[in-house]
Amino acid sequence: MIALRARNVWVIWLSFALALLLSVASMPQFMEVGRPLWLALFLTYWVLALPHRVGMTTAWGIGLLADVLNGSLLGQNALILTLVTFLVLSLHQRLRMFPMWQQSMVLLVVFGLAQLVQLWLNALTGSRPPTLAFVLPALVSALLWPWICTILRGLHQRLSVN
Amino acid sequence: MRLLVFAVLSAALMVVDARFSVLQPVRSQLGLVVEPVYWLGRLPLTLWESATEELSSRSDLAAENEKLKAERLMMQRRLQKLAALTEQNVRLRELLNSSALVDDDVLATELIGIDPNPFTHRILIDKGAKDGVLLGQPVLDARGLMGQVVEVMPYSSRVLLLTDTTHSIPVQVNRNGLRAIASGTGNPERLELRHVADTADIKEGDLLVSSGLGQRFPSGYPVATVTEVIHDSGQPFAIVRATPTANLNRSRYMLLVFTDPRTPEQRATESAEAQEAADRQAQEPPAPPAAAQGAAGAGPARVPADQQEPDR
Repeated sequence: MIALRARNVWVIWLSFALALLLSVASMPQFMEVGRPLWLALFLTYWVLALPHRVGMTTAWGIGLLADVLNGSLLGQNALILTLVTFLVLSLHQRLRMFPMWQQSMVLLVVFGLAQLVQLWLNALTGSRPPTLAFVLPALVSALLWPWICTILRGLHQRLSVN
Repeated sequence: MRLLVFAVLSAALMVVDARFSVLQPVRSQLGLVVEPVYWLGRLPLTLWESATEELSSRSDLAAENEKLKAERLMMQRRLQKLAALTEQNVRLRELLNSSALVDDDVLATELIGIDPNPFTHRILIDKGAKDGVLLGQPVLDARGLMGQVVEVMPYSSRVLLLTDTTHSIPVQVNRNGLRAIASGTGNPERLELRHVADTADIKEGDLLVSSGLGQRFPSGYPVATVTEVIHDSGQPFAIVRATPTANLNRSRYMLLVFTDPRTPEQRATESAEAQEAADRQAQEPPAPPAAAQGAAGAGPARVPADQQEPDR
């Protein structure tokens, strides 16, 4: 790969910091079940936009941070975010061509898979009730995707992050 | 290929974290970042709350003041009785030569965050290892037991609430001493008693207090009130549901309890020895009044930790 000069990379890190913050910010009780997967959303955008800058290593590192914040087993979120990144990277050529709504549909499946893995890991470590509510965050995230994508793209192009 | 490497790495980390305690120090150090992040995440809410408090009208404040005054009067009345009762209790226990009732030390703490996963009932509090918080320490609010500390970080710790599906607590019916185990259901308003015989003497409205049998929670703190007892002939045991007395999802301020680490036998021996020493001193004519007062007045005779360490 051609070595590109890094420019304004701090924007990426700042956006990840924001996503981490949003993923633990307090929300009203009834909305808690559908908390969007902020990290997965932000990660997906940067992986799609700058695959040479943000990859699985970044995803794994951020996942570890999320684990520390959430108090889950170290490696749990790391594994899930790596999985999301892998899926997005392997679909990346096609995904970039899709119109926005189609991207949302694909991401719904990707996030749904991630949530399923999350559920399995939770079931392994403790007895959590198996409910269908685990797809709700995936649905909310897929619906949020067009907005996140637009905002981040605006930021990306204005600051010409590379 | 990369995915495989990371997956294996994550799996290994998870197993190590779950089964061994090697990663504990790393975790608690990484936990340093937790508090500021949660504080930031909670900032909008905190600001909103303080703003509404600032802007609340004078009449509201006056009404609240009135209510608090009335409550204080009630509490003081109960306290008057309590002092006499406590004294009586201590005297009776001295007569019985049994282990004394030691008042537990407490540390006030504030809620700083709630676990983002809605299926677990865990909260974050603002006291950590630097304040002497221990793993497994019980946490109370004004009305009853809330849970126990499951992870200690330098300036904050995580508390598992009673109603988490992975949590159980040994309890006793306050009325007749019937023992049972109350398990969390994942519903913040409900606990379930496991394996209670159909013929057991338990009914609606019974207060369940902690029995202290698990060596984790101190005994005698209120845990829940029984709301429902269902006798289903198709089931081997009665279905007993209870509501926690603590405001598990509303309390902002909590207490961390420091229990006496000594066993009842140790406590009994030590108080007996202290009593004997006090008696001996009382028999000697020129007894220094201060020393005798100190030994006898303490009753439970709390021996400082450094003195009892060597003989263990």
